[in-house]
Amino acid sequence: MTNTSTPIIEFKNVGLSYDDDEILKNIDLELEAGKFYTLLGPSGSGKTTILNIISGQLKVTHGDILFEGNVINDVPVEKRRMNTVFQDYGLFPNMNVFDNVAFGPSIKGLSKKEIKNKVTEMLSLVKLSQYADREITELSGGQRQRVAIARALANDPDVLLLDEPLSALDYKLRKEMQYELREIQQRLGITFVFVTHDQEEALAMSDWIYVMNDGVIQQNGSPEDIYDEPINHFVADFIGESNILDGIMKADYLVHFTGKDFENVDAGMRPNERVEVVLRPEDLDLTTIDNGKLVVTIDDQSFRGDYYEITAIDDDGNEWQVQATNKSKIGERVGLTFDPEDIHIMRFNESENDFDARLERYEDDVDDAKK
Amino acid sequence: MSKKFRWANIYLWFVFILLYLPIFFLIVYSFNSGSVMQGWSGFSLKHYNELFSDTRILEILVNTFLIALLSSLLASIIGTGGALYIYNLKHTLSKNVFLSLNNILLVSPDVIIGASFLILFTVMGFALGFTSVLLSHIAFSIPIVVLMVLPRLQEMNQSLVAAAKDLGANNWQMLSRVILPVISPGILAGFFMAFTYSLDDFAVTFFVTGNGFTTLSVEVYSRARQGVSLEINALSALMFMVSLLLVLAYYVISTRAVRSKKRGTRLVLPATEGL
Repeated sequence: MTNTSTPIIEFKNVGLSYDDDEILKNIDLELEAGKFYTLLGPSGSGKTTILNIISGQLKVTHGDILFEGNVINDVPVEKRRMNTVFQDYGLFPNMNVFDNVAFGPSIKGLSKKEIKNKVTEMLSLVKLSQYADREITELSGGQRQRVAIARALANDPDVLLLDEPLSALDYKLRKEMQYELREIQQRLGITFVFVTHDQEEALAMSDWIYVMNDGVIQQNGSPEDIYDEPINHFVADFIGESNILDGIMKADYLVHFTGKDFENVDAGMRPNERVEVVLRPEDLDLTTIDNGKLVVTIDDQSFRGDYYEITAIDDDGNEWQVQATNKSKIGERVGLTFDPEDIHIMRFNESENDFDARLERYEDDVDDAKK
Repeated sequence: MSKKFRWANIYLWFVFILLYLPIFFLIVYSFNSGSVMQGWSGFSLKHYNELFSDTRILEILVNTFLIALLSSLLASIIGTGGALYIYNLKHTLSKNVFLSLNNILLVSPDVIIGASFLILFTVMGFALGFTSVLLSHIAFSIPIVVLMVLPRLQEMNQSLVAAAKDLGANNWQMLSRVILPVISPGILAGFFMAFTYSLDDFAVTFFVTGNGFTTLSVEVYSRARQGVSLEINALSALMFMVSLLLVLAYYVISTRAVRSKKRGTRLVLPATEGL
């Protein structure tokens, strides 16, 4: 992200510890205005902690939080121009839908007419215009979710924070809400920071993803970058299905794994450097033994609706996950094939900066070679 | 009806009859034309007439209700504040200390509380009378209110507080618009409990009434010592009716909120369902 304008939210070396327990370790991040950001990670990775620090519910142990370039470490929750959609929604049970949404505007001291306009606008945004007079207890989970979003947006925040808001919904409703949230974000043009442990959700909705684990940002990038070029074992494993194998980079564009050499598209490592090799199940194809780059035995398969998930074992004993459109026979020996660009190489302990630098370096090489 | 059910019913009726028989006996004899509880000599309202012409007892009645109303109102306010304070304590130890101190007052004998108030008021040179009774009633009612309100606070969803702050509310707005309405059933229950406790309290009141001022229970006690007049029966019958009405009132108030909400949505439903 090369942007000269001030980020709307910036973390500078932010850390948080309880006693000796380090929850967040030296977090740096920059969020641009108007984008959809996702903090993705397993539970306990620190993603919600980051959200609570942005909203002001938590104070940091060290580091600075900046809002449009100004340090806001000591600005209380109620003074920040951000609002939160809580995981359990936190709707006020003593108020109906209208009064819940009207809470923020009425605290601000808007006139009755302005409040009514605002609430009407917000309820129509979340498609609940007909439900203004309903009690919260009379709503379904999906409708409560919408009220929570409308209530948070009624305050005209610059940043909307969403704490796993879709986790309580069923699959179909969740898909629908993903689409709608994305649409609302694009319509309003404000910044969304979305916390989730669901990688599918993150990939579907975000402009930019921060992958978290153990209180550290593992990788950040566009959904495509994160999926196609995971930086380490954790990211490759957490985002999507992966076959991860140990390998050796014999030279630029030549990798050795499962006892064979394969042509690939990565470069810039030391000769004979030990690496990890990632191959996505959907990039693998089953073919005849003669056409295959590897020979595998089908071990197991399960029907997934739009594809068969196949587990196969190669002659080295490695397990392979393959997504195939055709049914296979268990116990059958078949060929396994993939393209050189499907092989993704991960170096051990390579930081994001190193990774980017290496990428630039060898892409320059390629450009030079072309000239 | 199964056999098991019938046994249960018989037992229930037995217990209720056992509990209500003395009161029923008392009420029936309040209509006796004779002046003693032995032997029924015919129906009469004369004891009620006596009661209503007894200005002393009517004055005491007003005092008793005034004390009950004022003490339970003030105790509700103070007790709710106390419950909020205990709820907001971060330290588990101090929380438990406060809660135990609260509960000790609930279980300690009224005689001890009454005696200690008497000693306190005497040492302070505080004149016994209306104020001393009111103060002691407030004091023993506060723990009741705390005990009724605190569970409501603990049940309350934590993110309501976070959401109110998040939407820009200051502490007062958060309290008045979110927390108090949410815990109001607990406050109401506490108020009614405190009201009935104050109304029928004898032991504590007995110690702190002093000369000239008295409440109903103390008056009934002192009259009963001089031989039971059936006027007391009439009074007891009326008091019993008042208690019954209080219970009904509490029931109506606590269910009305729910019912009116449902009625409201029923009005909305036909309009929205069609769209």
